[in-house]
Parts: sequence; C-alpha cells; structure tokens
Amino acid sequence: MKKFNRQTGASAENIAANHLIEKGYGILERNFRNKFGEIDIIAKDKNILVFVEVKAKIGGDFGLPEEMISKGKLQRVRNMATMYMNGELLPCRIDVVAIVLDENNEVVRLTHYENVY
Amino acid sequence: MLVKINSIANVGLETIPVDVEVDVADKGFPGFTIVGLASKAVEEARERVKTAMVNSGFDFPPKKIMVNLAPADLPKDGAAYDLPIAIGVLIASGQLERLTADALFYGELSLDGTLRPTRGILLLALYANTLQGASIFVPKPSAPEATMVANVTVYPVGTLTDLVRHLNQTIPIKPLAHDTIRTDEEFDSGESDLKDIAGQEQAKRALVIAAAGGHNLLMWGPPGTGKTMLARALPGILPPLSPEEALEVTRIYSVSGLLAPGTSILTKRPFRSPHHGVSAAGLIGGGSSPQPGEVSLAHLGVLFLDEMPEFSRSVLEGIRQPMEDGAVEIVRVMGHVKYPASFTLIAAINPCPCGYLGHPRRACTCTQKMIAKYRHRLSGPIVDRIDLTVLVAPVEVEKLSVTTQVDNNTLTSRQAKLMVVKARAIQSQRFTGTHLYTNSQMKNREVKLFGKLTAEAENFLKLAAEKYDFSARSYMRLIKVARTIADLAGAETILPVHMAEALQYKQLA
Repeated sequence: MKKFNRQTGASAENIAANHLIEKGYGILERNFRNKFGEIDIIAKDKNILVFVEVKAKIGGDFGLPEEMISKGKLQRVRNMATMYMNGELLPCRIDVVAIVLDENNEVVRLTHYENVY
Repeated sequence: MLVKINSIANVGLETIPVDVEVDVADKGFPGFTIVGLASKAVEEARERVKTAMVNSGFDFPPKKIMVNLAPADLPKDGAAYDLPIAIGVLIASGQLERLTADALFYGELSLDGTLRPTRGILLLALYANTLQGASIFVPKPSAPEATMVANVTVYPVGTLTDLVRHLNQTIPIKPLAHDTIRTDEEFDSGESDLKDIAGQEQAKRALVIAAAGGHNLLMWGPPGTGKTMLARALPGILPPLSPEEALEVTRIYSVSGLLAPGTSILTKRPFRSPHHGVSAAGLIGGGSSPQPGEVSLAHLGVLFLDEMPEFSRSVLEGIRQPMEDGAVEIVRVMGHVKYPASFTLIAAINPCPCGYLGHPRRACTCTQKMIAKYRHRLSGPIVDRIDLTVLVAPVEVEKLSVTTQVDNNTLTSRQAKLMVVKARAIQSQRFTGTHLYTNSQMKNREVKLFGKLTAEAENFLKLAAEKYDFSARSYMRLIKVARTIADLAGAETILPVHMAEALQYKQLA
C-alpha cells in the first residue's frame, strides 16, 4: 500500500507541476529536501517565489485532501522555505494543490489554493 | 457569506450579548477557525459542530470558515456557542434561509446533533426579556428554566434537525407555555420533624426565631443531643420562596449548572451543609472564571456549618464579609464577579474537644489548654455576628422513652412553619418598596426606621449593653432579633418582654 501511495503522490506531483506550468509559473525545484523535510514543488509566479505542497487522495472515502493538511504540515513547509531562501528576504508565498483522483489515477478535481499560510 | 447570530455570555450573574459572526468564504484554503478569546471548550466546538452537522445529514462545507465571537476582548467559556455556530454555518453555506425574526441561540451540541443540557438558560431568558419580542432557541432539557420569564418565546430544541425544520417552516417547534412561579404550599417536614426531637424546647424556639427573621444561630452542646437533627429540621420550617426570591436563587443555580434537567424553578429554600474540609474557593466561590461557592448557593436559605471549629480558620474567616454585606466579590485573573450571599448561618459546636464540658453527669477530660485552643478557632468577629446562641443540653432519659408518650405539647414542624410564615408576612409588608426580605437584613438606617422600640425596651437594652459591653454591631443585632420576636408575637412595637427574650440568646458559648 505504501508503495502505491508513493506512486500516487509522484503522479499527483506531476499533474500539479503541469497545472502550474499551464498557469505560466516557472518550476525551479521538484522535491527539494533535506533532513528536516521536503517541499514538493518550488516555482516562480512572475517575481514571487511559490512553495507548493501537493496533496492527493484517491476517491472520497477517506475525506478530502484539504483535510489532510494540518497547521503542523504547513509550518514544516514554512521552515523548509526559510531554509531554501537561506537568509535572503524574497517575496514569497505558500500554495497548496489539492487533487482528487479516481481508481485509474484520472483527475476528478484539482484545486489550487494560493497563499494559504 | 457573512452571517451574524445573536447569543450571550454570562459573567457571574451578568449577561453580556455576544455576536457570533460566521463567514464561509468561497476563496481560501479550507479550514475552520474560531477567534474571540475562546476557551478550550469553545475551541472544541469546531469538532462538535462539524460532526453534529454531518451526522444530522447536512454538508459541512469544505471552505474557509471563520467564526468571530464579538466583543473580542471578553473571555468566552462553555459549550453553549455550539448551536449559534452551527446555525451560522448552515445559513452562511446556503443550507438554511436567513433568519427574519430576532432570535437568540444557546446550547451545547452532542455529536449526533441532539442538544445537551446547558447552564445559564434562565439568565439568557432574563436578558431576552429586556429585548422587545425576542425568541430564544435553547436545549429541550434545560428549556423549562426559561418558562418563568414572561415576555420571551421559548423554543425547546431537541436536535439540530428539528431546529432546521422549524426555521425552514416545514415542521414548526411548539414554543413552551409560560408558567407562573408557584411557591410550594404543601407542607413537607423534610429530613427530620421537630416533633421527633426529644426535649430541647428552647433550641426549637431559637430555631423558629432564626427561621422567621433569618438570624444566625449557634447551637452548642455535648455530642448526641440533637444539634444536627435540629438543623436538619430547619428546611421544613422555612417559609417558601417568594417569586422574586425564587428567581434570584434559581439564577445562581442556573449559572452553576446545578439545576437538574427539566427543573423550571427552585421553590424550596436552599439548605447547604458543606463538610468541614471545604476549601476557601469551595465556600466563598472561586476558580479561574469565578463560580459561586457554598455561601452563594445558600443565598436566601441556610448555610449549616456542623462542627464549626473543625473548619480551617482561614476558610471560616472568609464568611465574615458575606455575613455582613449579603454578597461576595470574587476577583480573579479572568475577571471580577459579585455573587449574592445573603444566608442564615446555623452553626453547631461542642463546648470542648471531648464534648462533655459542663455536662451534668459526665466528666470532661480536656485540659484547659485544649479547651482554650478549641475556643480560639472561633474568632470574636464571627461570634459577634451570631444573633442567637442556644445551649442544646443533654436530654433527660424520661423524655427519650419510645414506648410511652411523654409529652404531647412538643412543637411540630407544621406548627412552627405556620408561625414562621406569619412572621415573614409581617416582614414582607414592612419591607415593601425596599430590597429587604427579613429583619436580619436591616442595616442601621432601617433598624432606626422600622425598629419601633418602646422607651422601656431600649432602656433595658442599654442596661444590658453597659453591663456586658456589647459591640455596636451586637446592639443593633439585638434590636433586630427583638423585632423578629415581636413579629412572631404579632406585636406592633418591641416591648421589654421581647427584648428580654432576645437578650437570653446573647450568651457567649
């Protein structure tokens, strides 16, 4: 099951990245990670640095992907973002892309929330 | 969409209107936030409201939901905001029409959507009464509390679904019929009847005076002579609460959450008998958001302190101020609260640690030092505030006889209650237009106004005061006791004979 989750997550991150590219964002990093955590996508919206957390769910039986993002998770993304910027004060924000997939990994819904933190 | 629902917050016995503002935004990351100095119990409303809505068959919108409890600087506690928040979310998410009439919502939700008993409904109703034509939606189990308030439409809400059906005008909830406050007329002797207590005629007389005028009474005597039984007989001879008194008492019990679900109003005078291990906060009131203590729960009733010297000194000294002022002010970090605490103190003590000092037959085994130490636990200021002191002496064996009826003239509780009720009627006539109920509540000004001493009676009192060195307070208190004795006798003025009886009870233990 764990393995499948990882596959789902990876494909969801691809879907999210494509969505952002379509929107005109430039992708800077994918899966930026160190021992403190991970940022799924780092992109650039015009001159704003955007840190994106992607959350995907298959079906609706276990709740919405939005519900799976807690204050703590966002705090981790924020900490990671601070590390990525390495002391520089850049205009930035944190976004969430929530994706609902069906059993065949087809997108049922994709919602992009801007500036959630 | 932004929705505003009206509710209230109770700070002590004060009611402050609270606006529950609910915003369900279409934009923004989904979440559910409550702001407005909410306590943990209010914060947890998030989970209760969410689950209750889903279990009642409504959608919980996956949107950015912001709840603000205004005014923002007033700390809010309790689960009573569950209902206004749920209704706010339902309206703001378009699952319910906007409210048309002025209505207040108040109540705790259970996870299945039923409403649980909530404290403070009576205060909500009294507040709604000051608004014109307001209706209140409250949990069904607690709703009877509100029926005593005249100009309020009370809707008892069983479940969240019922309420939504009512607001949609599909299945209306029938408002509760108003009730008038009935003071209980039927006689109930309570735990013990005066006629079951052997002998102790003087103590019984003192008990009647205490009940009639609301005077403080100290009973002292060896163990097993009936002090506790006498005190337990007191609820049976106390007069019923008047409608205004009943509201005052019920308000206190309503904020303490001590009203049993389904109770509308208390008609019996409270009788509180805290154990001597009670803490200062338990007796006087306290807690981080101050709750009423035993002195306030005994408001307009009786506070019975059995084995009074066993109470810790610091706790006992705390009742000095309420005994004089009829109210306690509690100051804590969370705020400053004033609760009424106008009670009759009934205390029972032994003459010494072993209990047999002054006993006609048994020898006391205490040393002088032990006795002094025991007596020292009762401070002068407390004793000075006690109007009636009576010795409950050992009973002669003759009077205890079970098989032969010895004494047919014993005062029964029923007779005693009649006397008390008559004396109270005279007092309530005297105090019409004032905030007083009993002689003991008179301040010096009122004593001068209503005392009506004859010159002979006052002379008599002056002589005694000089001889025994009464304090100014004792002087005034003696007049109050004499006034009650005169009322029991149906006399217009205080005669020397009434003053003489009052002086009899002024012995020091």
